[in-house]
Amino acid sequence: MRKKNVTTRSKVLVMRETRSAYLFLLPSLFFFVGFVIIPMFMCLFTSFFNYTMSDFSFVGIGNYVEMFQDEIFQRAFWNTVLIVVVAVPTVTIFSLWVGSSIYRMHAVTRSFFRCVFYLPVVTGTVAVAVVWKWMFNKYTGLFNTILSGVGAIDQNVSWLGDEKTAIWCIILILFTTSIGQPIVLYVAALGNVDTSLVEAAEVDGATDIQTFWKIKWPSIMPTTLYVLVITTINSFQCFALIQLLTSGGPKHSTDTIMYYIYYEAFKLNRYGFGNAMGIFLAAVIAIFSALQFKVTKSGSVD
Amino acid sequence: MTAAIEAGTTPDIIMEGPERLVSNWGAKGKMIDLADLWDDEALADISATSEAVVAACKSESGAYYEYPLCMTTHTMAINKELFEEADAMQYINDDRTWTTENFEKALQALKDHGVETTGVVYCGGQGGDQGTRALAMNLYNAEFTNADHTEWTMNSEAGVKGLQQLVDWCDAGLLSYDSGAVASDEIQLFANETIAMSFCWNAANQLTYAAETAFTPYPVAFPSESGTPELCGGIWGFGIFDNGDADKIAASKIFIEFICDDATQGPISISNTGFFPVRSSYGNIYAGTEDEERMETYASFQKWLGDYYNVTLGWAEQRTAWWNMLQQIFDGEDVQAAADAYVETCNTATADASAN
Repeated sequence: MRKKNVTTRSKVLVMRETRSAYLFLLPSLFFFVGFVIIPMFMCLFTSFFNYTMSDFSFVGIGNYVEMFQDEIFQRAFWNTVLIVVVAVPTVTIFSLWVGSSIYRMHAVTRSFFRCVFYLPVVTGTVAVAVVWKWMFNKYTGLFNTILSGVGAIDQNVSWLGDEKTAIWCIILILFTTSIGQPIVLYVAALGNVDTSLVEAAEVDGATDIQTFWKIKWPSIMPTTLYVLVITTINSFQCFALIQLLTSGGPKHSTDTIMYYIYYEAFKLNRYGFGNAMGIFLAAVIAIFSALQFKVTKSGSVD
Repeated sequence: MTAAIEAGTTPDIIMEGPERLVSNWGAKGKMIDLADLWDDEALADISATSEAVVAACKSESGAYYEYPLCMTTHTMAINKELFEEADAMQYINDDRTWTTENFEKALQALKDHGVETTGVVYCGGQGGDQGTRALAMNLYNAEFTNADHTEWTMNSEAGVKGLQQLVDWCDAGLLSYDSGAVASDEIQLFANETIAMSFCWNAANQLTYAAETAFTPYPVAFPSESGTPELCGGIWGFGIFDNGDADKIAASKIFIEFICDDATQGPISISNTGFFPVRSSYGNIYAGTEDEERMETYASFQKWLGDYYNVTLGWAEQRTAWWNMLQQIFDGEDVQAAADAYVETCNTATADASAN
């Protein structure tokens, strides 16, 4: 009898706590549903329509068929993939290297480096893009001035106007604006690695490299997973730099899916077609993120 | 505005050009017909300045979706002192026109004088594309569209010849191109004397860059084979979004009439834009002001205002296709083939827009 009373009381307590938890979540849930879930479904729904400023007619999978047949979309897709494939590993590896180099430094020195690398993150994208644009300028830019000064180039290079260099310029800028947060996260994660494990390994004769890969790397795997996913999403959604620096040119060599969505939806008012591309992009990001979860989870420690 | 239109949160009044008010939003039923503002007096007064302005504000269905306030012609500009030093001013006529042949001679004179980069054909985006369009079009007096504004025609013999000429000048080092620059970048290069001329200039630009230039920006027409240029224009005026509130629409019309037509406010409104009145009855609104001399110079270009082809349907697609086509030809692609592909893209866009 007494046991039954205790069970009932604990159930009531659990229910009360659960109810409180849901009540605390409710405001966030309200905004999440209103600004994320509902627009996502609207996006999916309207992607099956020829939705323009003056038309809203059902076209089934017509937008998706057109999308895969569209040469500019295909170019934009492969440009986006290139950005992701280059940016994500380089950002992660560089951030890990910087993080592991500075996390044991004096607090002041460490903060200095964190500030330096985080500065592009907190600086407005427009300001960053304008400064880079000045540096890439064909006639008065810093890069051409230096390279022609040391005799590395005979004539000035139009860095953002050349098909061969423009996408790499975008990746470089994206790299500098993406490393700040991962570095800060890695510094924090490395500082939190259990020192007793590190010391035990060192006592057992492990080298620095062995200690890093056998002890520290598995310990910071959750951070790595977060860095990978966030960097992947940011790289897939590269838009502002393209809009501000190249408008997708030259000859569509810097078109990304995000920029092409903007162009179709906001310049040509083809919202349905833009939404179809948005759904495709979301699916690709979800697949990439799931793969990263699967791969990195297998190598992490609890 | 696109987001506002879809969200139903548009303003009552908007100031824009006919390419959006008439050919885009008006054609899609988003705007109010302003025919009652276009009474006989207004029609006669604005027609006396330019029939092209009236035509631009009127839709194919006959509705007036724009009530115009001001206009300008887009020109190019040269660094006068540099041209004088290079003895290149001789190639420009007193009325600020020049022929294609003389333009080439001027480029050569600048080059011989040691000017590294004479001018830049910018094609990194659509910003200021009226300059590159006017340049390519005028060199051999091509037409940008047909008279009905239903087809794009820069793949004509004259159009291709003009485009080819630009490529040839770039290959010969007489001109330069930059697929990474837009008009604002080019103007900045002109203002800091890196280049000797700008292809994107007008009265407002001269005022904006006055403090930054240590030389005399000398506005000139675009060079043409015949010597008679056809300049691109800008027309700005008001439209009213159809927000379904008759009272607001009526009040908006009263406001627009006051801003544009009031004998005192009208000229003030126009002088604030830095451009010229569409109403001939206003005369020289800059007379007796410190801007008189500068504006008189720019007013002299008004007589070469060309066809306002910006109202051709598919305008937005055309703008993107234009600078992409320029990038292709400067990158070595066959000019005729690139121009044909550009025209095909534009005509498809125009046909699609007409069908909708």
